Amino acid sequence: RWKGSGCDIDSWDASPVLSDEISQDVELIDAFAAPILDKKRTSKLVQTLNTLHPLTDRTHLKRVRPCKTKGSPHALEILLFPIDDAKDPEALGFSDPGLGRPFVVKIPSRPPLTRTQFESASKHWPTSFHEDKQVTVALRGELFDAKQKAKMRNYMMSAIDAANEGKKQNMEAVGAVIVDPNLDKIIATGHDCRKNHPLQHAVMTCIDLVARSQGGGCYSYGKHPGCKFDPPDSDIVPQPYICTGYDLYVTREPCVLCAMALVHSRIGRVFYGTGSGDGALGTKFKIHAQKDLNHRFDVFKGVLAEQCKDLEQWERK
Amino acid sequence: RTIMGPADGCGESFYPSDEEIQKWMDKAFDMAKDALENGEVPVGCLLIYNNEVIGKGRNEVNETKNATRHAEMVALDELRDWCKLKGLEIKTVCDKTVLYVTVEPCIMCAAALRLFNLPVVVYGCRNDRFGGCGSVLDISSAHLPQTGTIFKCVAGHRAEEAVEMLKTFYKQENPNGNTFDSTY
Ligand SMILES: [Zn+2]
Ligand SMILES: [Zn+2]
Repeated sequence: RWKGSGCDIDSWDASPVLSDEISQDVELIDAFAAPILDKKRTSKLVQTLNTLHPLTDRTHLKRVRPCKTKGSPHALEILLFPIDDAKDPEALGFSDPGLGRPFVVKIPSRPPLTRTQFESASKHWPTSFHEDKQVTVALRGELFDAKQKAKMRNYMMSAIDAANEGKKQNMEAVGAVIVDPNLDKIIATGHDCRKNHPLQHAVMTCIDLVARSQGGGCYSYGKHPGCKFDPPDSDIVPQPYICTGYDLYVTREPCVLCAMALVHSRIGRVFYGTGSGDGALGTKFKIHAQKDLNHRFDVFKGVLAEQCKDLEQWERK
Repeated sequence: RTIMGPADGCGESFYPSDEEIQKWMDKAFDMAKDALENGEVPVGCLLIYNNEVIGKGRNEVNETKNATRHAEMVALDELRDWCKLKGLEIKTVCDKTVLYVTVEPCIMCAAALRLFNLPVVVYGCRNDRFGGCGSVLDISSAHLPQTGTIFKCVAGHRAEEAVEMLKTFYKQENPNGNTFDSTY
């Protein structure tokens, strides 16, 4: 069925598209530290510093570390304060005979969120780490079991079928489905219609079809049998607020228009097959993890990646 | 008032005059006031081509249950219908069309305006929660070669008034101060 698909249909992984806070190293900032010349004064020094220069927003940092330089006359070093708090080591505000000459060190600006971040941050200054199991599992790509993957594959196949429907009508080969994961049911299926209207991307079509399934909507898709919706089975099922709790499967990474439309629509999760040049859920922006926006959601890429990429290749010919 | 966006002036320098800005922003503010008086989201939005209104819109999220029906999206649909009716190409018309809107377009609408190749957007106040012309993200000038063309922004026209109208509206709408469902 798939062009040149000698490969196993399940040789793909849904990998999470994580925020920069998770996927990049923790930012380092400069701080003053000093050697502890008299080890017996350590607890006194910690006490004084905790009062005068508390590590209020940086409780992930240890106050004291063993000296790394071999053959050093002192065994311990103590963190004084970050340089952004004061430019000058004179701002210390006290003197102590146990304290040596201040020097500059790099410290991680915020707590590490992943083991990788923890390991790299700890090289600079001892840092504590509270592991989030969900993040660790996600990073290892073990988030979905075989049963879940089978469902994801079926939904993405429906999106690919829709893309091919669109292609028959000379549209861009992009397809999408919006799913209610609790009922295991496709609510809306749509494909790209931008030859009709510059904004009718597959995702926008699907969002409007969900609106129609709830008695709203603003376009008609009579000419496009590939664009359809399923009205709710019964009135027992409570109507969700727009796309709340729904999942989107789309063959190609959504653009800015579609990504922000998904924020406005409160989508639950997004799964896409292949990245796109101007993509807004990983490539150019990470709108799903954008600070300041009122709704965030999880994004996974790579579902049926090869098959989705094939759609794009046909596109270019 | 501040003019933002690329100042290189490459290509043709299509730009509305001060008189035009004054005239059409006044009209957009009239629309917004009207909306406020009718209990609707106080945003006015006009698309002007050759000194003619070829698209206008108001927020239609509630009646369509489609969260993407912002005023700008509704106005762009009207523009498209107008072009169809007149047998004109959307791109040719949009090259010489200005959007006047009382509030900075959101990230989604900014992308939509790029996809329509609109060259100039004149707006009133900033949209701190969703703004796509610099407030949250700058979609108007971002390097996105597959997402239409960049556009210039003229910002700040009667900004305080536009903010006041939004505040009044959301105070009525949300006595608990819950702005979770607000569009702006
Ligand atoms: Zn799109
Ligand atoms: Zn908008």
